[in-house]
Amino acid sequence: MAFATRRKLFLAIMAVPVVAYVLVVGIWPLAQGIWYSLYDYNLIRPQRTKFAGLDNYIEIITDPVSRQALINTAIFTVGAVFFELLLGFALALSLWRDDRFNRLALALILIPVTITPLVVGLIFKGLLAADYGMIGYFLAQWGLTDPRGLLADQHAALATLIFIDVWEWTPLVALILLAGLKALPSDILEAASVDGATGFQKLRIIVIPLMLPAILLALILRTVDAFRVFDTVYVATGGGPGNATNTLMLHAVKQGLEFFNIGRASAIANLTLLIIALIAAGFVMMIRHADRKANGK
Amino acid sequence: MRNANAAKYATAGLLACLMGSTALAQDKPFSGITLTIASQNDQFAPVIAELAPKFEAETGATVKVDILDYGSLLTKTTADYIGDTEGYDLVTMDIVWAGEYAENGYSVELSELIERDADEIDVDDIYPNLMMGLGNYEGQQIAFPFAGYANVLAYNKTRLDAAGLEPPKTMEEFVAAAEKLTDPAAGLYGFVANGQKGPASAQDWMQYNSEMGGSIMSEDGMPTLNSDANVESLKVYRDLFRNAAPPGAAGYDWGGREESFRQGVAALMQTWSVGAPGYYNPEISKVVDDVAITTAPHPGDVAPSYGIGGWGMAINADVSPEEQEAAWAFIKWLTSPEIHKEFNMLGAGSFLRKSEMTDPDLMAKFPFLPVLAETFENGNYDYRPRIPEYPQIQDFLGTAVNSVLVGDADPKEALDAAQAQAEDLF
Repeated sequence: MAFATRRKLFLAIMAVPVVAYVLVVGIWPLAQGIWYSLYDYNLIRPQRTKFAGLDNYIEIITDPVSRQALINTAIFTVGAVFFELLLGFALALSLWRDDRFNRLALALILIPVTITPLVVGLIFKGLLAADYGMIGYFLAQWGLTDPRGLLADQHAALATLIFIDVWEWTPLVALILLAGLKALPSDILEAASVDGATGFQKLRIIVIPLMLPAILLALILRTVDAFRVFDTVYVATGGGPGNATNTLMLHAVKQGLEFFNIGRASAIANLTLLIIALIAAGFVMMIRHADRKANGK
Repeated sequence: MRNANAAKYATAGLLACLMGSTALAQDKPFSGITLTIASQNDQFAPVIAELAPKFEAETGATVKVDILDYGSLLTKTTADYIGDTEGYDLVTMDIVWAGEYAENGYSVELSELIERDADEIDVDDIYPNLMMGLGNYEGQQIAFPFAGYANVLAYNKTRLDAAGLEPPKTMEEFVAAAEKLTDPAAGLYGFVANGQKGPASAQDWMQYNSEMGGSIMSEDGMPTLNSDANVESLKVYRDLFRNAAPPGAAGYDWGGREESFRQGVAALMQTWSVGAPGYYNPEISKVVDDVAITTAPHPGDVAPSYGIGGWGMAINADVSPEEQEAAWAFIKWLTSPEIHKEFNMLGAGSFLRKSEMTDPDLMAKFPFLPVLAETFENGNYDYRPRIPEYPQIQDFLGTAVNSVLVGDADPKEALDAAQAQAEDLF
């Protein structure tokens, strides 16, 4: 056997485990999920299973509850990621200088990231309760919030959940951006200083363009994560009041694990996957574009 | 010769050993069997775990209790039934899962076993309403009752006395008393109930709705969520929240409302009897000397229809006949008069037998037993429909009721929307 053929064969054999892994944990469940989503299939009423075509998908768009879940998820994602990037960038800039105080501060601000979201939800539910919460009680007493508390007020609940997400995840964004800042070539910044550039000019013309890959990385990570939000919402509001904080994942879990409505749950999960894939693809294209612009490639 | 003797001795020894082991096996008929129970995390769960070694000592069967929250219990056991994985031998079944169990044949049909062992069980001592409601669905006995919960009215008698009020007997009296007992400036409220979106608000409202003459299912088994009576009762429920409940009650589930009552914030609360032992516990209650319990209010001109809930024990139909027999033995043992009394003396709060209601030891510890007896006698276990569609209907109602309580929708509009969703299920 010629060397080239043997080489190809060897490479093919080496690739088998990866291909098998992808097939088993990626493609097969995905295919099964798509298959289920085409059926009206409920685990506790299996005898009534029937082919439904795209009905499950059509219902997600036409059903007001699902539609509101989609809108809530979009608002939550945009709101949370926007503030996390803004505050995270400000934090990263203030922690840029490498001194002992900043190293200590960085370690301390990372504490929220280490708490599991389920516990974060429970902590804030307790803190914000209007009757007994350490924060909620005073806010309600001073008339700053609805007497029922922030999480029971249909106009404030989603914003409160965004605030909780920002509290938990801004430090992570700051950490990613700080890593980006520290990797900036110091000679360019020094040269700009010598040329008399102001801080704002350096930020706008040098720092932000060079930081774009780090910013987009933080953006992708947080957007995908925020779009899948479940735990915090589940324990803090259960999707209420009314449907004010119902999110897509909460809706999918309820359909799948509470009502055992496998067809509908699969359709919601597939739709979520599709949206996340589109968002991620969009960001990846933005990174490429930015890279091309910065490096001329 | 010597060899022949040795052979004789050996044979005799072997026979003795065999007879001995047979005798042992007869003493402990279920040696070597492990029964795994999937149990709801209610007050009875740790007590079952505490009593289990006693069953093992008597029968040889080891009992493992897997204590799960409501959602996990439903998910894990349904997955176990559907996948035929035999993970659990016994499952605590909520009254509202009965339709689903019956329709899918998840559990062993117990009628023949009950008939076979009728004398041993003393069926007549068990409240018929509990036997039917906690395990029978359209003639099939898919679980055996072991934890009857009665919907009762818990009230703060010190505050009622101070206001010159009698415990309310009708809904009209209930509403009037709740409003009169409310004094927000003093942080005191007349009423508390579940307001949180989901099962919490749905279940509490269904109870009030039934007391006010509403029903969410028609005679022919179709949903009637937006009937006039239901809309009216939801208005009353909303007004109670507006005028007489602590401000945060729209976000309360069972834990929040019980806490509010135990702390003395709310004076009237309808609740499951299982929580009652907690009001008399000074470690968690500030109303130990103020609390009293009576039957839930009902309209004066109609027969009482008190809410009944609770848990039955079902045997997984997938497990082997030997395990099913051992599981049945466990059910009979747990619900036997002697063990069930001990079960309640240990604080399970899960009553079942008529004889328990007059037992002096239990009476001394739980003075509210006559109220439970009255409720079990005249109870209604179908005000929450026990049909396979129940979980989804409960979700639609949970959202509708909560929307009304937070002022997002008016009762008619919210129940119309829920009705439209419910109709899609049928």
